Order: sequence, then structure tokens, then C-alpha cells
Amino acid sequence: MPTLVLLGIIVFYPLIHTFYLSFFDTSLVLPKPEFIGLQEYGKIIKSKILWIVIKNSFIWTVIVVIFQFIIGLASAILLNQKFKGRALARAIVILPWITPGVIVAMIWRLMYHPQLGLLNRFLFDLGLIKNYVAWLGYPNTALYAVIISAIWKGFPFSTIMYLAALQTVPQELYEAANLDGANRWRSFFHITIPQTMPVIRVTLLLTSILTFNYFELIYVMTKGGPGKSSHIFPTYIYQIAFGQFRFGPASRYAVISFLLLLIFSLIYIGELNKRKVFE
Amino acid sequence: MRAMTRKKLIRQSMIYILVGLLLIFVLFPFGWMVSIALKTPEEQFRIPPTLIPSHFTLQNFLTLSQHPLFIYYLLNSILIASTTTLLVVFVTIFCAYSFSRLKFPGRRSLLSIIILTQLFPLAAIIVPIYIIMSRVGLINTYFSLIIAYLSFTVPISVWLLRGFIQGIPPELEEAAMVDGCGRLQAFIKIILPLSRPGIAATAAYIFFVSWQEFMFALTFITDDYKRTLTVGILDFVGQYTTDWGSLMAASVCVCLPVFVLFLILQKQLITGLTKGALKA
Repeated sequence: MPTLVLLGIIVFYPLIHTFYLSFFDTSLVLPKPEFIGLQEYGKIIKSKILWIVIKNSFIWTVIVVIFQFIIGLASAILLNQKFKGRALARAIVILPWITPGVIVAMIWRLMYHPQLGLLNRFLFDLGLIKNYVAWLGYPNTALYAVIISAIWKGFPFSTIMYLAALQTVPQELYEAANLDGANRWRSFFHITIPQTMPVIRVTLLLTSILTFNYFELIYVMTKGGPGKSSHIFPTYIYQIAFGQFRFGPASRYAVISFLLLLIFSLIYIGELNKRKVFE
Repeated sequence: MRAMTRKKLIRQSMIYILVGLLLIFVLFPFGWMVSIALKTPEEQFRIPPTLIPSHFTLQNFLTLSQHPLFIYYLLNSILIASTTTLLVVFVTIFCAYSFSRLKFPGRRSLLSIIILTQLFPLAAIIVPIYIIMSRVGLINTYFSLIIAYLSFTVPISVWLLRGFIQGIPPELEEAAMVDGCGRLQAFIKIILPLSRPGIAATAAYIFFVSWQEFMFALTFITDDYKRTLTVGILDFVGQYTTDWGSLMAASVCVCLPVFVLFLILQKQLITGLTKGALKA
């Protein structure tokens, strides 16, 4: 059981410590932390920035998770077909997922570069834009630009999960459906989806949590900017903690982010359990 | 009959077209990375940008090899990722074993708690870990990173190894124990050799995540020469201009080792990762 003690020290203790810190006001100019209780929480809830961060975190997580689901499932179905070079194709598709986030961020930063990036060149050649656009430089586009790279980086995880799930679906079900004259779409909705549903549910939960907590892409591509237009919880917490060395406020945001995620996960898991009871 | 084969042919070509599109989607950014890495400095800054370099050159890799710190970054990354891997596998294999073999009360809920730790945002625990590390004087040491990495590698390692060990029939150990082996001896003689592919896959996964880690590495290390690759490559990013050629050459160097490792171990790795979710 030394492993559990270890986990207690490096994971649970820091979490409790974060809660504890969040009741204090700490900063570089204030060497002795001052107890302030919950009053600062009140101030944060009334502040505009908290709601910007919540909104961004929500947009970020929802869009990334939905697209990772769609691309993940579609690519899994495709890679489950028989064709030459399938093993190689399966291996290649996983590569973005094992590429370090910082490198993904740099590649896409260059892709979005107003003058040197390929994106502008393609869109310009196709006549879709009249001027080169700094995609990461505008509050309206920055978050969405990073979202696209996050989808690209993370979708193979869903592919792996769904591919494994598809391989457990008994082939006889499809053969039987075929004999009954069901077409591919019907088989998909009546066999594939229900059979893989348990894995879909778990994967959606996992990708939501991973995405919500994902730090590197936004940090390296936009630093939460321009302004604060693309900050999500992890980047904003980090910015306050190590950009400004204000551990107190950073801990309060960390606690809020933790609680939001916990509530979401509990509701989600609760829903899963409820369904199982009725099944 | 002919209609059937024609339909099949169309279907087959559709599959190849779609696979082709998927591979382009996946590979395009990597191709762009390699292309920039092989361009001459003049061509990097040509507007409009070109997809395929008109001149192939290894100049960027040469510049990279002359970078005074890059070799340190590389060695630090290797050192930290492999130490973390060895440490975690060693510590968690016993834990994984007890979770899959010993029946003790509260086993299931303990396992769920271990998995639950993966939900914690690292950004929420980095501040207290930082404070502890600076109190005990570990900031700016390799140790601080290795310890911090345990927080997200230990749970997943327990989970993966448990899955692999569960796949080994318990009768083998029971037979060994009947023959007079102790539990520990049975573990060493039966479980360890049989779960070798699983251990390799788990080790590879831990290596990947430690190799890619960025946030702790950025925060805990202050000396230039102690940095790891993921933080170090940001050297090429200037405030006003970025040396994209060297940056992409460095990126190629960072990606290559993990890609090779992945290609060797992908089968076990994927089985291990998906096993748990499929059972749930």
C-alpha cells in the first residue's frame, strides 16, 4: 500500500491545500498570508472575468468533445473495414495523440501565421478571404483556432476507444440484420451505436475531463489572449499563479474549476447509473 | 452477380478515398513541420509560403546541433522520462498485483479513488506542489519534476498493469504455490515474466506522458541547462521573430523517439488502454 500513501501525498494533500490556500490572501508583497475566508469568493463571482472563463471553458470543452466524438467514431468505423495497409493506417492515425502538446501548438501557430501560414494562403487562393488574417490575434477567432488544433491533437484517443469497442461487436448481429434486409444505416443505428454505447459514454466523460483540464495548447498558442478572450480555467489559474504570483486568487479559481468539474462528473455518472437501473 | 462485384468495387474505392482523406488530415501538419525544417532560412520567410521546399537543406539541423543547450534539453528529457518510468513501474506493479489478486475489503472503492485522481486538474494542484517543493528546497531540480510526474502517472499505471495481470490465469500461480513457492516467489517467477508485454506497454505510456509534460517543467525549472525539451524548444520563439526552421527541426527531433517507440509497442499499448474501458 505504499502506492496509496504516495498518491495521498502528491495528489490529495495538494488538493486540500488548494482549498486551504483559497481562504487566504497571499501575494509577493504580503509575506504573511492573511485569512479572509469566503469574502473573496463573493467578489470573484461578481467579477466579469470569471464568467468569461466559464463561457470559454464551456465552448472549448463542448466543441472539442463533440468533434472528437464524430471524427473518432467515423475514423474508427473506417479503420475497422478491410483494406490493404490497414495496420499502418491505424498506427499513423494515432500519431497526433502522442505528439507533445507544445509541438502541436507550434505547428498550428505557424499554420495560422498571418504571413507565413498555409491557412491564409489556401483561403486566399480559394478566394474565401481578401486579406491575410491573424487568426490567433483576434478575440473573435483565437479560441476557435485553438479549438481546431485541439480536435486534431486529441481525436485519436476516441478512435482507439471506438475501434476497440467495434471489434467486440459480434459479427453475427450484422449478418442477421443483413438477412433481414436492413441497410447499412439501419445496421449502424440499431446495432453499432447500441453495442458501443457503454464505451461511448465512458469516452465522452474522459474526453470532457481531459479537454476541460487541457493547458498547453492555449498557453503556447495564445496565452489566453488577445486580452483575456481565450482563457480557460487551467490557463487562467496558471496565469494568476505564476504570471502574477498571486496564489490566493489562483487557488480560488482552482477550487471553482474543480467543483464545476466534480458537479458535472457526478451528474453524468449519476445519469449513467440511473439508466443502468432501468435497463 | 456483376452488379454485386461492381457495388463491391465502388465500396472498396470509397474506403480507400476516405482513408486517404483521413491520412491527409492527420499527416498534413506533420508534413508541414518537416517541410519547414528542411527549408532554407530565406524560403521560410517567403510570402506566400510554399508547401514543398524548392531547396532541401539540412542547415536547420546543423544550427540545432550547434545550439549550446539543445543537447542538455535532450539529455534532461531522456533522464527525467526514463527515471519516472522506472520508478513508477517499480512502485505500481505490486499495487496493481494486489488489486487484481488479493481480495481485501474496500478494494473496488480504493481503485475508483485512484482512478478519480485523474479528474483533478493539474492546474489546481500545481500551486501547493510548488509551495511544498520550494519549502523543501527541491525547486529547480530534476527531482521536483519526477515527483510531480508521479501525480498523473501512478494512477494510470496501476490501472493498466492491473488489467494486464488480470489477464493471466490465477491457476498458474496457484500451481506454483502448491509446489512450495511463496506468494512473492510466485509473483517473481510467474507474473513478472508473463506480464512483460503489459509492463512494456505501461512503461511506454508513462514515458510518453513524461516526455510531453510541459506545465510542471515550465514552472519548476529555472536554470536554462536543466530544462527539458518541451520547454527548451521555446528558445527559438523570440518576442518579435521566431526561428521557425530551427524550431521545426527541433520538433522533428522531439517527435522521432516517441514515434519509433510507439510503432514498436502500439499493439500492447492500445490493448492495455482500451481493456479497462471495455469492461466498464
